[in-house]
Amino acid sequence: MSNKNLKYLTGPFSANNPVIVQILGICSALAVTVQLKPAIVMALSVTAVTAFSNLVMSLLRNGVPSRIRIIVQLVVIAALVILVDQVLKAFVYDVSKQLSVYVGLIITNCIVMGRVEAFALGNGPWASFLDGIGNGLGYGLILVVVAFFRELFGSGTLYGFRVIPESWYITEGGFYANNGLMLFPPMALIIVGCIIWVHRSKNKDLQEK
Amino acid sequence: MNKNSNLYIVIYSTVMVVVVATLLAVAALALKSRQDANILNEKKQAILASLSLEGQNYDEVIEAYVVNENGEKIEGQDPIQLLFDLPAAFAQNTLPVFQAEDGRIVVPVSGVGLWGPMWGYVALEKDMNTISGIVLDHAGETPGLGAEVATPKHQAMYKGKTLFEGEEFVSVTLRKGGAKDEKHEVDAISGGTKTSDGVTDMLKKSLGAYQPLLKAAAAPCCEACTEATECETKNVENNE
Repeated sequence: MSNKNLKYLTGPFSANNPVIVQILGICSALAVTVQLKPAIVMALSVTAVTAFSNLVMSLLRNGVPSRIRIIVQLVVIAALVILVDQVLKAFVYDVSKQLSVYVGLIITNCIVMGRVEAFALGNGPWASFLDGIGNGLGYGLILVVVAFFRELFGSGTLYGFRVIPESWYITEGGFYANNGLMLFPPMALIIVGCIIWVHRSKNKDLQEK
Repeated sequence: MNKNSNLYIVIYSTVMVVVVATLLAVAALALKSRQDANILNEKKQAILASLSLEGQNYDEVIEAYVVNENGEKIEGQDPIQLLFDLPAAFAQNTLPVFQAEDGRIVVPVSGVGLWGPMWGYVALEKDMNTISGIVLDHAGETPGLGAEVATPKHQAMYKGKTLFEGEEFVSVTLRKGGAKDEKHEVDAISGGTKTSDGVTDMLKKSLGAYQPLLKAAAAPCCEACTEATECETKNVENNE
């Protein structure tokens, strides 16, 4: 893999992260991060959609009439999202119930259309595919970090496994209680804010003058 | 060919739509059997959950049958399949019943909330009167308000409530402002009045349809087993 292609793939992990630098896709990042499992499934779903919508649109880019460009993009993205939804319903039914409307709402996730419009229409299929994977994973990375803190402090579990021992809880005679606020969307926003804070303080070139 | 000519655009979009539609139709058909199996399994799990028997094998612990409006068993209907269209099943008086090994029964309930259909499973103790557990679900009630009926916290309140007052069927009511009658009322959902009313209606109508069965099933059990044995024991004691 050439250096340039590698940059397409890894750029969105940090310096060009769609969630914490471009502030895209926040809505679903707040909604599906109460637990790790749905966050991971959502991250993989979005990665699949961004990667393949980028690939398909890049392949079609020379034939698409520019007047109906956006409509074509929407059809491709919507078709991919419906496919993902069907696959989730068939293979991970419980998670698909947890994600509920948010799978369908991947269609409106700004990251997907943003990458198609900004990248895939002007670059080759392989580079576009990598860019899609990179952006999907960059989005997923933030989801997983947020979900890690929310599940750990909100439910005392990680990926459904108990991390904080039952005996620590006040109800069992201990000293500990879960933080109920962690289960609500505002806390996800606060955690995303903290991630952005840490990220910017480490990346001086992202700071506004 | 000019890519921005009307002809090109029409042909391009037609081909695109046909290709996408074919693709999605094939995918939907290919995955349908797996999805249906998942939905079926979810219903079985919900029935087990209402009995607090999660993790058990449905086929081993549940015996399902169908009764008519008089509580008589009827043949030729698949109880589980009836769950897929409960409103129709109630309209035709084909009422599915799921009996656990220990004598408790589960009956499905079906109604409407504020935004769409609601359904659930009510598990009754052997006296066919006391609620042993309940599972409620909905299609699209407001998250945080009406949708709270589907939470374990809300459903825990139904446990131990009774459907009958003497011989009379009174069902369980969700009361705004908090339950007053300990035996037949639970707290309604704040901000979910319409949904709460929907649940009240649903329980009254659906459980009401099972009245003949419940009364018939309760009678022999009480007289024949419990009271009779108790009486006999008392008699024996008295005699001594």
